[in-house]
Amino acid sequence: MAQVVFSSWGRNVVDNRAGGEVKDAAFRLPVAFDGSRPLNAFMGWDGIILFDKEVDIPVMAAEYMTRVQTLYCCGKCTPGKKGTRVLMDALTGIIQGRGSERDLQVCEEMFRLLENCKCTLCQSSTVPIHDAITHFRGDFLAYINGTKKQPAELPYRFIDKYTAPCQDKCPSHIDIPAYIEAIKEYRFDHSLSTIRENMPLPSVCGRVCPHPCESACRRANVDEPISIMLLKRSASDHEWQRNHLPPMQPKPRKEKTIAVVGAGPAGLAGAYYLALEGYPVTIYEALPEGYGGGMIAVGIPAYRQPRDLLQRDIDIICAMGVKIVYNCRVGKDISLAQLKEKHHAVLLAPGAHRSKPMGVEGEDKGYKGFLTGGIDFLREAYLGIPTGMGKKVCVVGGGNTAIDCVRVALREGAEVSTLLYRRSRKEMPADIWEIDGADEEGVSFEFQVLPTKILVDENEQINGVQCVRMAMGEPDASGRRRPEPVPGSEFVVECDTVIPAIGQDPDLSFIPLESGIDITKWNTVVTKYLPLKDAAGKDLKDAMGNPLARTLVTDMEGVFASGDAEIGPLTVVACIGNAHRAANIIGRWLEEGKVYLTDDEIIEDILVYLGVYDKKEQVAWLDSAPREHQKEVHGSQRASYKNYNEVELGFTEEQAVREAERCLRCYRVAMAAV
Amino acid sequence: MISLIIDGKAVSVPKGATILDAAKGLGIHIPTLCWLQKVSPTGACRVCVVEVEGVARPMTACNTPVKEGIVVTTTNEKLEAIRKQVMELMLVNHPLDCPVCDAAGECDLQDSCVEFGVTKPEYQAALNRKPIRYDWPLLESDPNRCILCEKCVKVDHEIVRSDAIEVVARGEETIIDTHDGKTLNCDFCGNCVGACPVGALIDKPFKFRGRPWTYTVTRSTCGYCPVGCEIDYHTRDGRVDRVTASDDTYCNGNLCINGRYGFDYINSEKRLKQPLIEGKQSDWNQTISLISDRLKQIVATNGPDAVAGLTSPRLTNEEQFLFQKLFRTALGSSNIDSEARFGFAPALGILKKAVGMSGATNTMDRIEHAGAVLVIGSNLNAEATGYEYRVIKAATRNDAKLVLANVADVKLNKIAHGQLKYRPGSETLLANGIAKLVLAAGGEDSVAAAGINNFAQYKAALDQLSLAEVTEKTALSEATLRDAAVLLGGKKSVAVLCGSELLRSGTPGAVEALVNLALLVGAVGKEQGGFFPLHEKINIQGLLDMGVTPEFLPGGAPAPTKGRDLWQIIQGIEQGKVKALYLVGVDPLSSFPESGRIKKALEKLELLVVQDLFPTATTTLAHIVLPAASSAEKSGTFTTIDGRHQPVVKALNSPGDAREDGKILTELFNRITGSSETTDSAGLLAEIRSALPGYGGSSVPPKGPYSFSVTPAVEAPPASELTLLVGPILFHNGATSTWSVNNREVAPAPYVEIQSADAEKRGITDGGAIVLTSPAGTLTGRAKITNRLQPGLLFAPHHFPEFPVSGLLVGDAATVAVKVAKG
Repeated sequence: MAQVVFSSWGRNVVDNRAGGEVKDAAFRLPVAFDGSRPLNAFMGWDGIILFDKEVDIPVMAAEYMTRVQTLYCCGKCTPGKKGTRVLMDALTGIIQGRGSERDLQVCEEMFRLLENCKCTLCQSSTVPIHDAITHFRGDFLAYINGTKKQPAELPYRFIDKYTAPCQDKCPSHIDIPAYIEAIKEYRFDHSLSTIRENMPLPSVCGRVCPHPCESACRRANVDEPISIMLLKRSASDHEWQRNHLPPMQPKPRKEKTIAVVGAGPAGLAGAYYLALEGYPVTIYEALPEGYGGGMIAVGIPAYRQPRDLLQRDIDIICAMGVKIVYNCRVGKDISLAQLKEKHHAVLLAPGAHRSKPMGVEGEDKGYKGFLTGGIDFLREAYLGIPTGMGKKVCVVGGGNTAIDCVRVALREGAEVSTLLYRRSRKEMPADIWEIDGADEEGVSFEFQVLPTKILVDENEQINGVQCVRMAMGEPDASGRRRPEPVPGSEFVVECDTVIPAIGQDPDLSFIPLESGIDITKWNTVVTKYLPLKDAAGKDLKDAMGNPLARTLVTDMEGVFASGDAEIGPLTVVACIGNAHRAANIIGRWLEEGKVYLTDDEIIEDILVYLGVYDKKEQVAWLDSAPREHQKEVHGSQRASYKNYNEVELGFTEEQAVREAERCLRCYRVAMAAV
Repeated sequence: MISLIIDGKAVSVPKGATILDAAKGLGIHIPTLCWLQKVSPTGACRVCVVEVEGVARPMTACNTPVKEGIVVTTTNEKLEAIRKQVMELMLVNHPLDCPVCDAAGECDLQDSCVEFGVTKPEYQAALNRKPIRYDWPLLESDPNRCILCEKCVKVDHEIVRSDAIEVVARGEETIIDTHDGKTLNCDFCGNCVGACPVGALIDKPFKFRGRPWTYTVTRSTCGYCPVGCEIDYHTRDGRVDRVTASDDTYCNGNLCINGRYGFDYINSEKRLKQPLIEGKQSDWNQTISLISDRLKQIVATNGPDAVAGLTSPRLTNEEQFLFQKLFRTALGSSNIDSEARFGFAPALGILKKAVGMSGATNTMDRIEHAGAVLVIGSNLNAEATGYEYRVIKAATRNDAKLVLANVADVKLNKIAHGQLKYRPGSETLLANGIAKLVLAAGGEDSVAAAGINNFAQYKAALDQLSLAEVTEKTALSEATLRDAAVLLGGKKSVAVLCGSELLRSGTPGAVEALVNLALLVGAVGKEQGGFFPLHEKINIQGLLDMGVTPEFLPGGAPAPTKGRDLWQIIQGIEQGKVKALYLVGVDPLSSFPESGRIKKALEKLELLVVQDLFPTATTTLAHIVLPAASSAEKSGTFTTIDGRHQPVVKALNSPGDAREDGKILTELFNRITGSSETTDSAGLLAEIRSALPGYGGSSVPPKGPYSFSVTPAVEAPPASELTLLVGPILFHNGATSTWSVNNREVAPAPYVEIQSADAEKRGITDGGAIVLTSPAGTLTGRAKITNRLQPGLLFAPHHFPEFPVSGLLVGDAATVAVKVAKG
């Protein structure tokens, strides 16, 4: 186990330099930066972590401050712009042998003065410097006294990363503070350009993103998080509402071509970023023209995501040089081998469109009124194909798809639309605002019920679902309580239609066995990864349980995978982030013949694992600006027959600017010595 | 209202107010450097830090909204120390070139250092000098002096929307620069210079001219466009050295290039300085006597119909009044008119019939909070920049929907929600087409419209209208028109602005159709919004109010005998009936349509008197030339189109023997009538008031009843292959600014814009010669190839006396069918 020489991370000082009994400290960091090069030291907004006593802290501090000042400081406030320059010059002067003790005193003054910075970047950058001067004072004095000279060459390199809690949490790593700041400055166009650097479907992720960023918003430590997602919508709406043309220009056309399987969020995003680099990209999409967008198109109803705006985002991607071949199911209309033949690289992004079975008696009997799955129902409703739905609809499940199904059922003419879920309302994985929306539209809910049997009449037409009520059982060995059926609580919910909506799997049948591409037991594509391990020797995993830093290449050379089929069914924003990464890797592979992650990508993944947001941080700020709320359509007409008009109306621009003003711009810089 | 305590004093302020606002209300001074009321808060300088009880860090007062019950301390030892240290940091690497810095003496950084007792540089960093931008026209940027307050960038972006400058680079290298690093290319309004608290952005024309405190500062009204901005002339030694504007004025200190830099014509060496008789210098006494004798003689011989006069909308109300008085009372003639004849005056007539008011129906600040704005047939940027600022504010900061209908792309395109680039000549169909769609959408608009006179006829006419014809003739899709109708319809208030491209479109029924549309969408009679007809020059409204028109007396009563209008005067000269013409500030040979015809006519006159600032094509024909005073050299009032009476205050004496127009007119009046009236302003004001009851009072929106104009549909003339549009550009106003070296620096020479495909077809190259032939004449100019027009349309600015392109026009319209060839 790697020993920590010194740490002040999290304001908790562990100092093993003096020898004696070794105090332990564990961090969510890999022992080797990329699985092979040791991580010697780490410096950032929360202090210093020193693994290797050979790392020269004054040198590292001077370098850290130089990077903060010259690469990241926005220059938009006096203490930040000038203060970090004074700090940089003082620290650099010290290690270059021009320093005096007065310089250390000036540093101390700057630490206090930089508390008054406009944002958190420069302010947080003083934390490790303050720790260095406090705990490594002798090392600084050695430079000042001339007993130590600046080393000509260092046996380690510094790798830095500019991030923010929200940006770190966003799976697409959009530069959120920058796009919010642009809105604050009434520069909606700049804002959208920043968004597009990591998010090619802004109209979509401005509307239907589950916005994990908002759960890592430091403003929540003051009052409520910034409405990050809706600000993205404001930036996106600004462009089309004014008939502006997007400003992006792809680089000169390259020779090598890429095939993408599936025009969903991952496929579109991967194609977009490759096209911007100049690669001709062809997407093969199973659905007909006009139905691009994958799960966004077939899984998210139009009252949440207007189709013209989705199509506009797709059209913009195509305008960058992406060709979409519709009505072409890979594995049926064209084989993977043929794609491989025709193109220099292939990106698999088929998504997860196969409904999971419910495990209820009767579901496999082919009863009339039993629909194959929520996602199929939504797709058919959207495509205008008869869904087989009756007038009394029961949807089983608790996710967003289940909610979408009950709400679409109303719009498709259901008289009663009921949702059955085995846990309580607050345990539903669906977004709370979607549940509220369903509530307002008149959906009826049965919580803590388990369907046990599908009931039919003599014509095998469903006429009800037998259910049993659930209650929390006794804690099991691990201390968790699980819902258990309440004996004797059986009852019947009358209905003529049952829609199971309990999840989807990727359909990977198009990948032939002989391709050698390995598939997990969860039916996702296996991709390669860096062997990052923690001090205890455990593999580092991301929140989905996948290896943390993946190169997204499959077992077949030149074939990469992305999206739900690689991650497991997740979110649009996760698929886009993952596909953007894949696009970068593919580009490098095509140019250099090597599959690898850059230092910047690795440190990005490491920071995700470490976590940039601290829920417990006390943030001193006056809570005088409450979160803005968008207008919504209310009333009974909202979910009337075939009314797919958008329900949420977004911010006015004046509101958007006001909301953007709330942002604390929580940038911070991390730097590793490797 | 939110209650809070600041420095022990209780105060209540509206929700959303900042701590700074609340402190101001209490008279508590919180120091600021980067805060500028007219733009969004920046929070860059950090000197406005205050303490809020219970919040562990100081908050900036300028951008922190108040909260119920908070207790704020604005000053204590800790805060003073922060402010002082922040200032000390600001001085790190700040050049100590105060002795030669233009801003010295009016520098916020100097003042703040004194305020906070910052007397020596406390902190140091490696010296870092950034290049000074000497290459920008009119403005100079020294980033070393910049304190990064961002006022300039915000004024540029939020008020002017030039979007020319930005904050670029990182850390200490951060500077304000052009967004592309190239030379400055913007509106050159200099409002960024006006906002700069230090000497980072300076006016080149003022550089090293003198210390600010040695100037006499006179607040007056800009003599250029109909916005009527209050400006401060800085004068010394008989020169205007600069013009500034204060943020606390009605126009918030937001000028345009003409207001800020166009003063330079006043100092021009080329000004007329002596009366001239037949080209020879004369004295005033002799000259006035001669004019008086000749006019009297001509009237005695031929009757009062033999004399006529035209004035410029740049004269003050008092001068306009004296001019009509000279003609009506002393000479007995109503043969007086002006360029208002070409479009503005007839439009006011239509407006008067429809809403009972001639002039804008509301003040221009009411545009800012309108729910929707329609700008039609106006390059607002060029015609009335201050109106453009209001529209920008409405559409970008107050959520108004902006619909732009023009024949060419203009600056506002980038912020408009609807862009209707219509074919010239289709204005009537366009307005009626939108109206039809607004009405079809139903809702409140149609309910309210039903109460307007002639609604049934109007509706019937719209019902008859074929949308297919509208889309065909306007070249706009039905979807585009429908979108515009949605943007304009159902709003609480709407502002409609139209300019010369509409008022002088020459399209039958265009103004009537637009006024009808304005009434339909509820633009008239509400607290916000309004109908705003525009004209390029300041006192067009005052000119009409004062009765410089053949049909109306001052105040609008019909003249007992209607005189000749402008075209009838020309005809009269041609027929030998009109023998004497008196022109005040008018150069028909350079700025009127059919200048060839007019030239021939003027050559027939027995007496041509021209009173002007500069020698012009017309003065060369004149028998007598009188040197007049610029608007900086006289006192009086202007009336803006929106009815604001703006004081004109004399800031300096006229050069040589040049005289104020009012004095000349009074002297002539006295000579002719043998009376001895003075130019005493109080007496004159009383006389004007007796003619115009309520003169000088504030105007209120007309309350109705309103009437739709129902005019029989007149077939528009068929469109020609090529149409020339003649109009204003931003960098000049009338011809006056062409005498300003400053304006000539950014717009040195005339040109003819031509759409690239049209140019290519004819082998015309950018900068190459282009020959324009209209029924009124032929002119050769320099081509400027563009894509902002539309196929078949050319545009030429009408300002340059050396390129009298207006003379190619025929009649009132600002467009004319032309033949175009490579020169």
